[in-house]
Amino acid sequence: MRVYTRLLGQYLAPQRGRMALLAVLLFTGLGLQLVNPQIIRYFLDATQSGGSQNALLAAAGLYVASAFTQQALGLAGQYVNQQVAWRATNALRHDLMLHCLRLDLGFHKTHTPGELIERIDGDVGGLAGFLSQFMLQLVANSLLVLGILALMFREDWRLGVGLAVYTAAVLLFLGMVQRLTAGRWQAFRAISAELFGYLEERIGGAEDIRAAGAMPYALHHLLTLSRTLLERYRAAVVVGALIMNVTNVLTAVCYAAGLGLGVYLYTQGQASIGTAYLIVTYVGMITSPLHVLRGQARDLQQAAASVQRVQALFALRPEVAEPSTLVSLPAGALAVAFDGVTFRYEDNEAVLHDVDFKVLPGKVLGVLGRTGSGKSTLTRLLFRLYDPSQGSIRLGGADLRALALGDLRARVGMVTQEVQLFQASIRDNLSFFDDSLPDADLTQALKELRLWEWAEARPEGLGTTLAAGGQGLSAGEAQLLAFARVFLKDPGLVILDEASSRLDPATETLLERAVDRLLAGRTAIIIAHRLRTVQRADDILILEDGRVVEYGPRMALAADPGSRFYHLLQTGLEAALA
Amino acid sequence: MTTTTATPKPPTLPTMFLNWRLITYSPGTFMIHSVLVVMGFLFQVLPGLIQKQVFDTITGATRAEVNLWLLIALFVGVEVARLAANVSADWFGMSFRLITGALLRRNMFASILRRRGDTALPVSPGEAVNRLGSDVGEVSDFPTWFPDALGQVGAALIAIGIMASINLGLTVVIFVPLFATLGITRLAWDKIQHYSRLSGQAADAVTGFLGETFGAAQAVKIANAEGNLARHFARLNATRQQADVRERMLRNLLEMISATTVSFGVGVLLLMARQAMANGSFTVGDFALFVYYLGFTTFLPGYLGTFVGDYKTQAVSIERMVELVLPEDPLRLVESHPVYVSHTPPPPTPPAKMPADRFESLDVTGLSFWYPGAERGFREVNLHLRRGEFVVVTGRIGSGKSTFVRVLLGLLHKQAGEIRWNGEVVAEPAAFFIPPRAASISQVPRLFSETLRENILLGQVEAEVDLEGAVRAAVLEADVAQLENGLDTLVGPRGVRLSGGQVQRAAAARMFVRGPELLVFDDLSSALDVETEQALWARLDERRQTHASTCLVVSHRRAALQRADRILLFKDGRVEAEGTLDALLAGSEEMRRLWQSSEADGHDADSGDLLR
Repeated sequence: MRVYTRLLGQYLAPQRGRMALLAVLLFTGLGLQLVNPQIIRYFLDATQSGGSQNALLAAAGLYVASAFTQQALGLAGQYVNQQVAWRATNALRHDLMLHCLRLDLGFHKTHTPGELIERIDGDVGGLAGFLSQFMLQLVANSLLVLGILALMFREDWRLGVGLAVYTAAVLLFLGMVQRLTAGRWQAFRAISAELFGYLEERIGGAEDIRAAGAMPYALHHLLTLSRTLLERYRAAVVVGALIMNVTNVLTAVCYAAGLGLGVYLYTQGQASIGTAYLIVTYVGMITSPLHVLRGQARDLQQAAASVQRVQALFALRPEVAEPSTLVSLPAGALAVAFDGVTFRYEDNEAVLHDVDFKVLPGKVLGVLGRTGSGKSTLTRLLFRLYDPSQGSIRLGGADLRALALGDLRARVGMVTQEVQLFQASIRDNLSFFDDSLPDADLTQALKELRLWEWAEARPEGLGTTLAAGGQGLSAGEAQLLAFARVFLKDPGLVILDEASSRLDPATETLLERAVDRLLAGRTAIIIAHRLRTVQRADDILILEDGRVVEYGPRMALAADPGSRFYHLLQTGLEAALA
Repeated sequence: MTTTTATPKPPTLPTMFLNWRLITYSPGTFMIHSVLVVMGFLFQVLPGLIQKQVFDTITGATRAEVNLWLLIALFVGVEVARLAANVSADWFGMSFRLITGALLRRNMFASILRRRGDTALPVSPGEAVNRLGSDVGEVSDFPTWFPDALGQVGAALIAIGIMASINLGLTVVIFVPLFATLGITRLAWDKIQHYSRLSGQAADAVTGFLGETFGAAQAVKIANAEGNLARHFARLNATRQQADVRERMLRNLLEMISATTVSFGVGVLLLMARQAMANGSFTVGDFALFVYYLGFTTFLPGYLGTFVGDYKTQAVSIERMVELVLPEDPLRLVESHPVYVSHTPPPPTPPAKMPADRFESLDVTGLSFWYPGAERGFREVNLHLRRGEFVVVTGRIGSGKSTFVRVLLGLLHKQAGEIRWNGEVVAEPAAFFIPPRAASISQVPRLFSETLRENILLGQVEAEVDLEGAVRAAVLEADVAQLENGLDTLVGPRGVRLSGGQVQRAAAARMFVRGPELLVFDDLSSALDVETEQALWARLDERRQTHASTCLVVSHRRAALQRADRILLFKDGRVEAEGTLDALLAGSEEMRRLWQSSEADGHDADSGDLLR
């Protein structure tokens, strides 16, 4: 329960004013509901006893006015409620997304984007009613129930007691069964997230599924998930239906009892016809707040499932933590040093063993190795996406673990082979949604890379929206956009990870220029399988199974017939002669 | 069907037709649901009559000898029956929604899987998920509102009839203005539809962006852009909020208009009933009955307004679903397939190899394709492949060699030419060139967040295939040995826990395990280093001794060229020359330049200036 109050406090506190307004609207509306039957009683009794014309007219007018006011208050309440609900859930979505993005890469390697969509958007959506209404509805409807009970006691204590016992029984029953369903809703939400996560991933890989002739298999899995979804939904709903059935029967019995009592009191001469009608109306009315309370109990069950799943995400903490004392980085090109770095993912075998090397400011290191030799891991460590298991990495003379993550990542730029583009404007794609970057900077960067003519020719210039997944963009254009991103960042260290595969010669020339511009005055680590790409390197480092098997100045290694680098240079020639 | 406008409306399905198809898909569930719902509404009429009888009896307005307690017991009985009907109706309604929802999802998903590469999905996978979720939810829910409307209207008409028989004048005065509000709600429907479209788009944008962001988690982190993306996400959410609040408030306003007419009706009743009650022509029981019936009949115009409004917004959701099925026939959205609600779906049977699938020859004549509005593509290409051959397609970047293979496999739609398999014309290459006839790996293969074993098997039954052999053929066994759980290692979303080369080789193993007659490799050089690729070709040599498979390879690496029985040399979208490596080296200047440029670069046969 403390979890709920904390959530409510955190996301409703900024909306105090709106909440107060909502409370006023809700309470006034419910209060007016209590008034209407009184007017009708007065009317009925006055008609029977021949009351004055004006008084009757006034009663009718009052009734209509009260009813109109109720409706208007209801509409206003709806509006405020919508605002509160959306603001609260959107704030929660924002925090949850930011939290997830800051979690370690390991988290993202075990959760599909589709699942996270469902957890951040779907689960939070399930909280909308709970966040905005739960407390208010609980209070307002409890007050309404109490008001009705009080008015009934005023008419006849036996009526009051009877109705109070009935109310207590219904609430007790609701409390008891509520526990039954929370787990079922949670199971339902989990399978729902799995289903949509599955769909998102398979839709992204549709071509592979078809090429493997695995369509029947993929459909089969979807149907299996659909079936589980239906089963779990039924399991959750069946309890809800049971509750509804029982309370509804109780309601009918109660209403009949009210009718019987009214009749009895009237025939005994203890109540007027107006009062008999009033009793029937109030007894009928008490079911409405009880239904609302029951609905809230059901929402709470569904919300409980969502809250638990949201909390489970918030409870995760990144292992890569911000340091307590911060060191700042020097301006300009940054030196890099790996000192006895060993790294393993979780408890697996180490992927880097005792790696040592240095790159002086402004120098270029070329890293070679087969796939899986640890090159990509090396770059991830430089961004502190993971911390080394042993040893340390220094950037600009400072241990990475002493730098603020933001500072570190602001000063290191990387161009990868696979460019991640968003369905958003060219401007947002370049700046990574940073609004503070002036267009002049973007234009400047594009001009440097000779990409400005391309951007200018788009229908809306920088504001042109790129298609989903970068469709309609050549691989070369995507690569150049990635360069422009790094260019804008103005880093002190640049990492190029196989940045030039599958490109046509014209684009290749453009990219060569881009690399020249990007590397000027910066330290660089270039990772590639291709020798051509590392011809810019001052030093060469060869990785094999996570170990440095060769490290030295490129010229010296190329000239040494005993070196692996020399051997690699020869392999192609040997293949040609064979 | 002819279209006269310049921009024809995209094809969609009529709302009524789609609803009908859903209803006839699960008719039993729908009928039971409908009968129960209508019954529940009709039961609504009875308590009013009973109540009237009770009040009339006690005030002495009727002389009929009625046992009051029997009446009250009857009242309880009616209520219990009504509630039971409602609850069971909910159960069947829910089943109907989930069953038809499962069918729609299945059909949309199947259609997406059948999509060709040149007709990419118009939205990101994240947005598609939103449509598979909320739009499917809307549409599968709607048919259950038909019996609801029928019951509401039926019960209201009966109630109005009873009221009119008691006091016609009062009934007319109350209900005429009420039905006038129908006119007002009618005006609002188009607006509602408009807002509903806007809020659907805004929701697409939210989920699409979330999907893209988490698909690029590493890129976001290293760009230090978490905060920026969260801010952009908040903006998208605010847009959705605005659209959604507008739509809902308009709906609420309509509901309020009809609800105030209830109060108005009661007000009129209070004013007008006074005299009738004084002279005894209108009893207290009549009064109670009017108030009771006004409670549900006056909701009718508002309800009908909402119903028609919802009906209209259906068109929006249907359009959004059909968009994912196009360019296929929109009818495929509702084609009938079992969705297995009462028992587990039978395991899928991997296609068995038939004698007719045995590969003898592939003859491609005059195949042509060019990208719309671009110079790229190829024209008039002929290829003749015989059983057991190893044929390499090579050429510079942009010469059309990769495009050729993609068109041959049906990933792109040919503009001219003919493809024959064992002499028979292949009409639908995309559906034809799949295992067990042919298998291919693309340049950027995708793995899914399951175990490596499941990713390779992808539905093949392990006992029936040679998994170990496939892993070995793909040069993956050393990697498997290093992984923490071997083949049972979870590879993470899109296979992110493996390196690029491992993903490529896992995709190769996926191909080998299917034992296809024809193997197609589309340029492995971007993800595999030279030595790994050499090892792969060497393993393939071994495998071809036992499996007699035929290979079509796009490559410019020497290891592949040297193995070729024949080479097709592409230049500027045409086949420049065809023959053995020696013959081409002797006879083609282009081939010599390709070969020499790789030699000049030394180590790597593909990275010369000419090629790169």
